[in-house]
This record gives sequence, structure tokens and C-alpha cells, in this order.
Amino acid sequence: MGLVRSNRLKRFVALAILTSFGGLVGSYAKSKSPVDRATEEKILLLGNGSEPKGTDPHLVTGVPESNILNSLFEGLVNYHPSKDATVIPGVAKRWESNEDASIWTFYLRKEARWSNGDPLTAHDFVYSYKRILTPSFGARYADFFYIIKNARAFHQGEIEDYNEVFTKALDEHTLQIGLIGPFPHFLLMLRHYTWFPLHAKTIEKFGGLENRDSQWTQPDHFVGNGPFRLKKWETNSILEVEKSDTYWDRKTVRLQGIRFFPIEKYSTEEAAFRAGQLHYCYEVPLDRVTFYRTKEPETIRLDDYFGTYFYRFNTTRPPLDQPKVRKALALSIDKESIVKYLTLGGERAANSYVYPLADYRPIKEIFFDPTEAKRLIAEAGFPNGKGFPRLKILINTAENHKIIAESIQKMWKDSLGIEVEIVNQEWKVYLESQNNLRYDISRSGWIGDFLDPIAFLKIFRSSSGNNQTGWKNDEYDRLLDQVNQTGNPDQRYALMQQMEAILLEELPIAPIYFYNRKFLIHPSVVGWYPKLLDHRPYKLVDLKAP
Amino acid sequence: MDHGTDSTEIRSPWEESWLRLKKNRLSVAGFIVFTLITLLCLAAPLISLHDPNEMDMVYGPKAPTTEHWFGTDTHGRDLFARTLHGGRISIAVGFASTVVALTIGIAWGSTAGFIGGWLDAIMMRIVDILYSLPFIIFVILLMTLFERSMLLLFIAIGFVEWLTLARIVRGQIVHLKTMPYIEAASCLGVHPVAIVFKHLVPNLIGPVIVYATLTVPAVMLLESALSFLGLGVQPPDSSWGSLINDGAEKIKSYPWLLVFPSIFFSTTLFALNFIGDGLRDALDPKSSN
Repeated sequence: MGLVRSNRLKRFVALAILTSFGGLVGSYAKSKSPVDRATEEKILLLGNGSEPKGTDPHLVTGVPESNILNSLFEGLVNYHPSKDATVIPGVAKRWESNEDASIWTFYLRKEARWSNGDPLTAHDFVYSYKRILTPSFGARYADFFYIIKNARAFHQGEIEDYNEVFTKALDEHTLQIGLIGPFPHFLLMLRHYTWFPLHAKTIEKFGGLENRDSQWTQPDHFVGNGPFRLKKWETNSILEVEKSDTYWDRKTVRLQGIRFFPIEKYSTEEAAFRAGQLHYCYEVPLDRVTFYRTKEPETIRLDDYFGTYFYRFNTTRPPLDQPKVRKALALSIDKESIVKYLTLGGERAANSYVYPLADYRPIKEIFFDPTEAKRLIAEAGFPNGKGFPRLKILINTAENHKIIAESIQKMWKDSLGIEVEIVNQEWKVYLESQNNLRYDISRSGWIGDFLDPIAFLKIFRSSSGNNQTGWKNDEYDRLLDQVNQTGNPDQRYALMQQMEAILLEELPIAPIYFYNRKFLIHPSVVGWYPKLLDHRPYKLVDLKAP
Repeated sequence: MDHGTDSTEIRSPWEESWLRLKKNRLSVAGFIVFTLITLLCLAAPLISLHDPNEMDMVYGPKAPTTEHWFGTDTHGRDLFARTLHGGRISIAVGFASTVVALTIGIAWGSTAGFIGGWLDAIMMRIVDILYSLPFIIFVILLMTLFERSMLLLFIAIGFVEWLTLARIVRGQIVHLKTMPYIEAASCLGVHPVAIVFKHLVPNLIGPVIVYATLTVPAVMLLESALSFLGLGVQPPDSSWGSLINDGAEKIKSYPWLLVFPSIFFSTTLFALNFIGDGLRDALDPKSSN
């Protein structure tokens, strides 16, 4: 009996161990990666580069912020999922313009709502245009609105009464905007986040038009009109949006939410992607590009991207105030080598500033020319770099920028005999330094906000908040005004070519390469088409388990 | 008779310690390894065929070959040369910062301990307050407030490492002050300064040397942590910390970038720790023979 019992006991124990082990194995097999679970719940997990500086459409300037704002708001018209030069209706259900495309009338849909349930009216648009143009508010993107009649005069304090600016709410649901000249691309521009409507009552509640430190962007106070609404924002950890139940087109929206993860370190982000924690990896570490291109070509995407990577010179600091010095620095950057051996994603060396479009080509280019650079730096009073101060290259913390900066540091040393240092700063600090001209040379990039060369050229207007080089040129400003008043495409392009030639003669910047968007994407993401402008109408993105 | 003289030979405490140290094989080995690595790093320009900052982007990152013993990095720079030159900086930071820490720590601790009273209380409370600051934030603050330079790096690290030493020194002094031989010296009218130098300092040297040897690796680790955060050595220069940081980012594609500097760094740390441990055992008069 005893024997039997002990045998039974043994069997029982063995069975118990087996089942628990089996259970373990089973549960291990069943355990799903965060991506799989999120795909089922229809929650998109996005790596989003740097920690966003904010969620106020009138204050931010960066790409990470733009990605978030596109989910929280909707403009008069919206981005098409695959075509860059096409708009789809947004808050406006239809629109018309006069013959020369200088006065535009938008008919807003009556069912459009704010995330708190309030109806969205034409007055909200007018209010928000007024806010960005209010001189004391100090929006960096205000010059974007100068194409509106009298907007510039109002922003520069020449007229006090906002009613003179041609943005009219004809009634609750009709908005009329008058431009300083014919502008056929106006609709493309309207998709940009600076043109989004803001909820007037909320802004008024939190300090009004002029308050830059307004608390209205806090998740508890935030009111938007987009397909998603702000759920939570934990600094340096996550920004989460959830499907809005007040959005007019909520039936189309497939995603239940989006989580934006700020991961500045590319290698960390890539590791997260591989571990199944992200649907989308914002950037690929340079050293991994070749691996993905050869081993997992279905995961990596290398899309053309409407942007230019360049170095800004602080033209208010000697010796960078001398055009000769800037030119010497720009000419001694071997751009071809950088794109060929370092960036590896099919980028193209930039010998001009504006991203080349099929119908727009530069009339002036600058090529790698160390001999000429040497001559120029000697002419400027620094033969072989003697007596040249130790300047600093400012970069934001990211390996790819560091790798490029180190190679440029070496190129300048070899060609010009000058020593420079590399200083890295976290994204927000870096933006502040750049805005306040607290740098010598700064790594920069500009992504065109709409498909037109002027999207690049307008930022170097003397008074533009995005100029950030201290460079001023009256001729350039005059040409820019002229472009804004010209409807004929050929004439416009000719004027813009002249502007670019001035810029490349004076060189407040040194162009390096034209971007390529390198990212990794999970096969379950549907509707993420290659686009020159990387703006996504999230309401049309879906997740399907492959 | 021969044996008799041998066993009754009188040895000074230093000789005793030296004998004890020699018996400790690990620490002797540590000492040899550390000397070798230091010599290797110092002789880097003679040994290495390449300039550590010479780029060859066309060659790019390649695994070790007979030409490049440790392989090359993203810019095609020779990793062997960079590791040796990085070692020079890491070791220099280690020793220079330790000297800074020793200077401040001994001066502070012995002043507080010897004078005593309210001055002691105030000085030690200051140490307590500094202790409570998260030291890495303190260093980051220093590094961002002032222009970044190697000198500042030495000082900044030395500045956070002196606190423990100040406490050790003060404790020793307070303890030694009450020793009969000090009281005897006082009674005989020996000048206080002479007491400090003749009687107190020689008795301090033991713990201080031990602590110093253990501080060097700690400082090197701190430097690597700072380089890891991008606050340490500035490019194109490298230290072991910054090389390891670069390597860690690219571990999947170019593992040699992490492996070689890590081997050098951890070997050095081990060696220094063994030396420190050996010295502690050897210099402690209470430890058994």
C-alpha cells in the first residue's frame, strides 16, 4: 500500500511538474509582443524622434510636433494618403476661388465639432489666424501668413485693427481669405499645422491671445478638432492620443489610438522596434542601413523626403560675418563622400538649397572645392587657418548627426587647417540655442511645409522666425514679396531661382544633402504610402495582422 | 645562530607591508598588468601604425585585419590607435582627478579633524550636504556651466570624489589625536605643526594610499559614464568610455568597436582594484601576517 501510494505520489508530482511546465511553455508561446497586442486593439505605436517641445500649433516648429498635431487637429483641407499635391476635404466640405486665385471662400461642414462637443465655426479660424499674427505673441511661423492681405502690416505693427486683415467669417460656416496676389498653391499650404483652427473659448480662458505660456495645451484642458484627442503626455516617456468621439468623420477612423514614443537615440529605437515594441521606427541608425537593405528589405523604407540637411552659420559672430569665411567652410565640405559612405540611405549631395523638383532647378550651385576654399580663407585673413578662432558645431543629440559632424570637423581641418569642436544638446535646448543665436555653427535641416520651392526660401526672410542665422538681405526680401504677388508659374520660378542664387552667393548656410526618409515599418501598418512630404492623415491609416 | 638572527631581525612597518604585498599574487599580477597597459598607451605613437584621427571613409568600418589589428570605425579610423590614445586620456583623467580629490580631501579632512570644535562641525556638515547632492547632476552642472575642457573634466570629477576621503582623513586624525604618543609629544612641547607632519601624516598615509588606488578606477568609470552621456571627452578625441559608448550603439553591425576597448577598460579596472585590495591588506597593521 505504502509503495503504491508513494508511486501515486510520484506520478502526481511528475504530472504536476509537467503540467506547470507545459503551462509555462504554453503561456510563453501565447505571450505576444506589444506590437501584436496593439495591432489587435488597433493602437498604433510610433517612434517619434525627439521629445515634442509642445502641442501648441502656433509655437512649435519641429517635425516630431508636426506628426502629433496632425492627429489632434484638422485643417480646412487634409493630406491625401498617397499624393503630395492633392488635398482631401477637411473641415471645409467645399471651396472656391475667384478667377486669379487670390480670394478663397471655404464652406465649412456644419457637423464639425471640437473635442469638447462645441460646434466648430469660421470664427475659430479667424481667431486663430489673429493669434498667430498678433505681434506680441511672437510666433516664429507668422511670416507664413504674410500672403494674406494686410497680414504683414498687422504683424509688424503698421495697422492696429485686425479687421483690416482679409480673413472674414461671412457667417458661422463660411470663411473667406484674401491674398496679396494670385496663389494657386494656397490649398497645399493650408494643410500645415499653423493653419489649424484653435478653440477660441479655451484660449481665452487660459490667458488669451498673447499668452505664450498658456496652460491650454495640458491634457486636461486641451481642445482639438482632429480625429484623435490628447489622452496623456508624460514627458520623455509617451504622448498618447485616443480616437475622438466628436470628430465629424469618426466612422472612417480605424485606429483606436496612437502612442508617440520620444526616443532620441536611434539605436535604442531600433532595438525597441526589433523587440516588437513599435510599429514604426522613426530613424534607422546609419550602421544598420546596409543590414536592412540586404537582409530585410521589406522592413526598411527609403522614401524621397522634401527636405534639405544643412549647417547654419551664425552670421552675427565674427569671423562668420565674412561671406568669404562662410564660403570657404561651405566649399570644403565633401558632400559626395558624406552621402556615399556615411548616410547610406540613397541621399543626394546638395549643391544648392531648395530640394530639386521636376519643374524647378537651381541656376547656381556650389561644389566641393578645397583649393578655392583654401584661397578664400587666406584672403579672409586666415592663411592655413592661422588665427582662426575655435568655433563650435552645435548638434542635437543623435548619433547620425555626430558621425556627420565628426567627418566635417576633419574635412575643415584637412582643407583649411582650422579646428572646431562639436557640442551636442538635447532637442529642446538645441532649438532654444538656435533660436537665440547662441551658437557658431549649427546642424540644421528644413523640411518643406508644402510642395513649392518657396517653402524653403521663405525662411531666410530677414524677419522670419525660422531664419536663425542673423542673415539679412534686402534684395532677397524684395524678391520674396514679388514672388508672393506673382501668379504666373514661370515668372515665380525665375524669381525664386534668383533668390536661391543670392542665398548661395552669401551662404548663411552650407547645404549638405537632400533628405531621404529612412524608417522601419511593421507589415501590419496599412496605408503608409511613400510621400515626399511625410505627413500622414492618420484617420486613413489602419492596422491589420499580417 | 643563523636562524636565530633571522627570526629576531627587526623590520620597519613599511618593510612588513612590502613583504605582505609581495605575497599577494593577485595584486602583484595587477601591478604588472597595469604597468604594461600604461606603457602600451604611453608608447602608442611608436607602436601604432596609424593616426587615431585619420579618416578613411572609403575604407569604412571593417573587422580586424593584419593592417588594422582591432578593425576600423564608421569613419574608417584605426581602432587600435584609438584605443591606445583613448587609454592615455582615461588613465590621465583617472590619476589627475584622483590628485585633485586627494588634495582637497586631505586638506579638508585634516583641518576639520585637527582643529575640531565648531569648525569641524561646519566643515563636516558641508561635506554631508555635498554628499546628498546626486553627484552626476553636480558634474553635469559644472560641465554645462563652464567651457568644456579636459582640465575642467579633471577638476569636476575630482570635486565629487573628495568627500569620502575627507571623512576618512578626519576620522583618522580625530582618532590619532588621542593616541598616547601624540599626547606625549604635546606634553614635551612639540609645535603643533611638527606634530601634524612628524606624527599624524605618516600614520595617515596607509589609508590614503589605499583609498587613492581605489579612487582611480572609480574616477575612470565616472569619466566613461560622462563620455557615455556625451559630456566627457569631445570628438575627435576619444577615451575608453566614449569608444565603448560608440561601440555599444553599433554592437549589432560592428561588434569589434565594443569588444576591444571594453577588454582594455575592464582589464585596467580589475588590475587597479587588485592593487588597491592588496595595498589595503598590506598597509593595515592589524591584519594578520
